[in-house]
Amino acid sequence: MSSLWSHCINKLEGELPPQQFNTWIRPLQAIEGPSELRLLAPNRFVLDWVKQHFIGKIEAVVAGLGKQPPVSVVLEIGSRKAPVTAEQAPPSRKAVPSRRMGASSLNATFTFESFVEGKSNQLAKAASVQVSQNVGRAFNPLFIYGGVGLGKTHLMHAIGNEILMGNPSANIVYLHSERFVSDMVNALQHNSINAFKEYYRTVDALLIDDIQFFAGKERSQEEFFHTFNTLLENKHQVVLTCDRYPKEIKGLEERLKSRFGWGLPVAVEPPDLETRVAILMSKAQQAGVDLPPEVAFFVGKRIRSNIRELEGALRRVIANAEFTGREITLDFAKEALRDLIALQDRLINVENIQKTVAEYYKIRVADLLSTKRNRSVARPRQLAMALSKELTNHSLPEIGQFFGGRDHTTVLHACRRVRELKEGDSKFLEDFSNLMRILSN
Amino acid sequence: MAEQIPLALGFQPRATFDEYWPGANAEPVRHLEAIADGDGERFILLWGDEGSGKSHLLQATCRSAHRRGDSAAYLPLRLLRPLGAEIFEGLDDHALVCIDDLDAIAGQSEFEQGLFGLYNRLRDGNATLVVSAAGPPQQLDIGLPDLRSRLSWGLVLRLVPLDENDTLAAIALYARQLGLELSPQVSRFLLAHCRRDFTSLRHLLERLDRATLAAKRRLTIPFIKALLEELA
Repeated sequence: MSSLWSHCINKLEGELPPQQFNTWIRPLQAIEGPSELRLLAPNRFVLDWVKQHFIGKIEAVVAGLGKQPPVSVVLEIGSRKAPVTAEQAPPSRKAVPSRRMGASSLNATFTFESFVEGKSNQLAKAASVQVSQNVGRAFNPLFIYGGVGLGKTHLMHAIGNEILMGNPSANIVYLHSERFVSDMVNALQHNSINAFKEYYRTVDALLIDDIQFFAGKERSQEEFFHTFNTLLENKHQVVLTCDRYPKEIKGLEERLKSRFGWGLPVAVEPPDLETRVAILMSKAQQAGVDLPPEVAFFVGKRIRSNIRELEGALRRVIANAEFTGREITLDFAKEALRDLIALQDRLINVENIQKTVAEYYKIRVADLLSTKRNRSVARPRQLAMALSKELTNHSLPEIGQFFGGRDHTTVLHACRRVRELKEGDSKFLEDFSNLMRILSN
Repeated sequence: MAEQIPLALGFQPRATFDEYWPGANAEPVRHLEAIADGDGERFILLWGDEGSGKSHLLQATCRSAHRRGDSAAYLPLRLLRPLGAEIFEGLDDHALVCIDDLDAIAGQSEFEQGLFGLYNRLRDGNATLVVSAAGPPQQLDIGLPDLRSRLSWGLVLRLVPLDENDTLAAIALYARQLGLELSPQVSRFLLAHCRRDFTSLRHLLERLDRATLAAKRRLTIPFIKALLEELA
């Protein structure tokens, strides 16, 4: 990596939230001239995004390094070197073997149309659409990562379905990583490993879900590594999902981790309230059920952890309404979800939030309740107050009471301050996201 | 992967829907009947206390689906755990899989991964899965978040304990199935003097049935008192 660009990278990594940095800055390659820093984006999508959102910041960082003569930044589409090294001759492309491996068909209901977009997943969706329209050329591999039940699998199926719409004869294989492993073990047992290799290496697009389950399975990793290389060499699309960023997967070979990062790693975050409500309305509509907005709002407000749980709650309301023949109203939904909500309230309460925040910042709960105003205590306290407002149904005065009898205006101020810090301070945003994740699961 | 381990898992002879007293649990029962008819939810988690009838209902669902010609598998995990996580292999071709006592393997990563894999394969194969547990997904001691979130995706149904009248009706129904004559006085005596969960009451009735047959006597309160003293 060029020295000027590596300086910039270090600086930008500190200033941008990790998700944005990993998605947009890391994929850029640099060619450094005496008065020019040429940045190569893998495709038009990244180019446009960087131009719109980050070019000013990059230029400021470059200018800050004080080079003489001044260095200008140029952004274009391109690649310094082919990303895949030819470690083996690609096998000749033959017809797909008649024996179907464990490949499962795509779920036709998981489409881009049925995917509810919000702030938390719009990048991942945009990248997925790109991939389905430029198979093997936009981002390869596309690596979608994030917590459980946030829509990764939906996006993956949507990519497959969209590719098939454009080319009904495309050979798309979706499978769970665990299935890849068991197919391989099967093939080894039945001396059919060559057919296995041939099968997976000749698909047009390979979609593998939850690749964190490759961890610790060395033989499968080895096989997947070669399959992966072959597909990329031949410009066939690979899409992977995982519960975390490639570098953070334990028990996975370094060369695989680094290769997974070659294309575009893009995160899905837990949906915000508006998105949760939109998801509920959309799911209810798909089920042919008339869901009053206030009910969707109530369920969305109470079930915050992930989309699967949200759908589970909606399923419960609909099933109960069908069984009793009653109309779905706010009171009815409260009754149908009484057990679930009581459980959530037991799991997430102000005391629990205070304890979690104190542990996270390595301070004492007593500090949060004290009158201390130094920043190392005040920040966590503000964060804990804002989380209490977000995750419980207590009023501002009640939350003030929980924090050593503070006034409701103090809590209000804390919520506003936290909102500002989330916008401007990437480290703070990361802390906030981590705590949300810990508390919601 | 591994061939399915041959399991001699017969269903209890009396585990049918007709022989279950639903009490306040009509809704879960109806969902399970719908599954047995091939027209229900794709995934159900059924939870409730010990003795609430989870095993009975899971077996009834399997039996009923089987009679209709669907292939159905019943896996009591407490019993099968010694066989290892391979119990979850070789089940992909079933239309219905009922897994009893999830708690028996909760927190054991190999089993959790095995069940997670089975869940995904059944989902991809359009099959139905019913799982029973002592609590709702959020309360189970499950280490694998992927599995926990999948468990909460389906329809989560609770079997509530029977109240006194329903318990009386349930033991009367069970006694009739045994061919045992149970007067209302005897029923109330049992409820007042014995453990009230249905599993215990059912075992006691079976015991009383055998004892009355052996002694060639009718079931009376003095007879029960004598037997209980003997047992204590």
